[in-house]
Amino acid sequence: MAQKSWMYSVLEAVQYEMQQDPSMIWIFELTPPVASNPGKPVINLETEFGRKRVTNTGIDENWMASCCLGASLAGSRAATYIPYQGALMPFQVIQNVAGKLRHMTGGRASMPVVWIIEMTGQTPGFAGQHSCYEEDSYYAHVPGVRTVIPSTPYDAKGMMHAALRSPDPVVYLYPAGLRTLTEEVPDEAYEVPLDKAAVRQEGNDLTIVSSGGGMPGVLEAAATLGGEGMSVEVIDLRALKEMDTETLVNSVAKTRHLLTVDQSYYTLGPGAEVIARVAENVEGAKYKRVAFPDAPPPASPEMFTWMRPDAEKIAGAARALV
Amino acid sequence: MEHETTSKSAPVDQVDAPASESRRGFLQIAALTGAVAAVSGRRAWANGDIGFHAKDLSDDKLVDMYRTILKIRWHERTQADEMLTNPDYRGYNHFYAGQEAVATGVCAALRNDGPFEQIDLAYSSHRPSGHAIAKGVDIPKMCAENDFRATGLNGGYAAEMHLSDPDVGFIGADGMIGPSMPIASGSAFAFRARGSDQVAVVFGGDGTYATPHFHSALNNAKLLDLPLIYVLENNLYHQYAHYSYSCPHRDIADAAAAYGIPSRVVDGQDVLQVYNAAKDAVDRARAGGGPSFIEAKTYRYYNHWGAPGATAGELGAFGYDPLAITSFRPEREVRAWMQRDPVDICRNTLVDWDVLDETRAAEIETEVKAEIEAAFAWASEQPLCTPEDGLKNVFADGAVPARQFG
Repeated sequence: MAQKSWMYSVLEAVQYEMQQDPSMIWIFELTPPVASNPGKPVINLETEFGRKRVTNTGIDENWMASCCLGASLAGSRAATYIPYQGALMPFQVIQNVAGKLRHMTGGRASMPVVWIIEMTGQTPGFAGQHSCYEEDSYYAHVPGVRTVIPSTPYDAKGMMHAALRSPDPVVYLYPAGLRTLTEEVPDEAYEVPLDKAAVRQEGNDLTIVSSGGGMPGVLEAAATLGGEGMSVEVIDLRALKEMDTETLVNSVAKTRHLLTVDQSYYTLGPGAEVIARVAENVEGAKYKRVAFPDAPPPASPEMFTWMRPDAEKIAGAARALV
Repeated sequence: MEHETTSKSAPVDQVDAPASESRRGFLQIAALTGAVAAVSGRRAWANGDIGFHAKDLSDDKLVDMYRTILKIRWHERTQADEMLTNPDYRGYNHFYAGQEAVATGVCAALRNDGPFEQIDLAYSSHRPSGHAIAKGVDIPKMCAENDFRATGLNGGYAAEMHLSDPDVGFIGADGMIGPSMPIASGSAFAFRARGSDQVAVVFGGDGTYATPHFHSALNNAKLLDLPLIYVLENNLYHQYAHYSYSCPHRDIADAAAAYGIPSRVVDGQDVLQVYNAAKDAVDRARAGGGPSFIEAKTYRYYNHWGAPGATAGELGAFGYDPLAITSFRPEREVRAWMQRDPVDICRNTLVDWDVLDETRAAEIETEVKAEIEAAFAWASEQPLCTPEDGLKNVFADGAVPARQFG
């Protein structure tokens, strides 16, 4: 047990699984699988497992994603780290091959593959193409692929173990804005389920649901609102597909007020799905959505910062709702 | 004597190279010492293989090329110094210093003035400032854009990696690696379809080789005889990885040749050699002869991004870049390449040809430096963006609703 960063926690899980399974492979592009952490040994998958199992490629995310799918179909567990600039390049192979293959083959295809897909764009100054927080919506839409988005180092490690052990293909979204988070993370292997939301804070007046990069702002807003006397329940979705409807419905049945927060675009973002599922099951609740507008993030910090949901805007929306 | 810069040892072995037939003797020296001579079987020398077009250029045009190289150089140096010394400066760049001769030599062979329906189009990369300046983008407005100003080239929406100015045929920067090449081939397709003699040029780095787009663009350009010129600036590193990690060829031009496309390796530090190859390619494309591929062997003096390792007032970045996690660029490699500097090579050639004397060459550099300083000063006084404008320009008309307040 030690304070560990997000990426150290993830690579600790990968290292363990690769030690247990000599057939497992890892593909990377420009981000070597190396992590260090105070008081812990450096993890370097490339040197530990050799370049036959762990290798980098040119800038070709389509191949990275396809290679791992092919390895999994051949019986080797496989994972790859796809940096944000190419986050949707592998979409075809994930959406139109992996997502459909088990079903198309009558259940015969098994795909123990994990695509770690980086999300970034929370930094003012990086416009348009260098922002890809919207990809949660795209991947969450694909049947047959589990899409998860851990928001804490503890969950990151536990969900990585679960993802690598799953016979289903997993899109494992990594909100890069969370790379500076640290928390106590066990050294030993453990699993966090790929289909359960987490109640981060219990409350009775309002349910706020978010995920990934939206969570720090939500927790900050919840603390502010708590100081004002509002009892806020905070839910971290963690799994976008399959979404944990039961936890959402139980919470809003209690609070009768639901605010969703997405860093991705408003239209068809995770919040839209959350509200739809709750509205089908809870009578008479009130709803509100906070999201990035349906506009590409502009470079100008003045424009971007105003458009990005943050704790202050979330708290304002909560006050207006309750 | 005046060849001192080019006669210093190049960062490669020397091999025999054909002597130039040119009346301008510089080429002989360059051929004996140039990086390209050693690394390629596809040399583009003035050996009859292609024309030595630069010898026919007017003195004014040659001086313009020298001036353009200097504009790029001082833009990069001034911005690097801003990043290093001015805590209020918010801009950044993927610096092009070291590669100036490539953009300058290519764009000097293009049609950059006139109606949009007649000028040649350039597609740039994530390292766009050199291409933008060479194509004729307004430098003060570009500086303002890179500093996120409302009156910048693209209103503060773009910043460095998304610069665009269709008025001069600079379709723009592309922060992604790959997509621009097939898109540029689409512009070339349109030129051919409508009977225009325009050409499309796409600049990409050595990292583009590994992308599917490289192969798709070249294959389709050849199949359809498109007026596309692919300029691959091989500066040895894509981000922090040496190109040998992603390409099995020593000369990436070999891969283009496999698609049946005329392919050249040129010394990217010598603007006239780049120009010769570009002029050949442009003439072929305008005449309906289809695509060309030019691999320019070059080097960037700064690290992949920003100014880590650089010192204010000095050219280049040295030492360990904490971001350089795949390949480390040895300081000796950087310094060896700086011995064959595109500014020096261009100036020495022009002095050798009696186009300029050293005094005039130095005056021009002083003038350019002042012009660039004025551009940055103007940019720093421009207004910041209005936050609500972020909702505009999503579609041709109107604005999208705010959603961030619930």
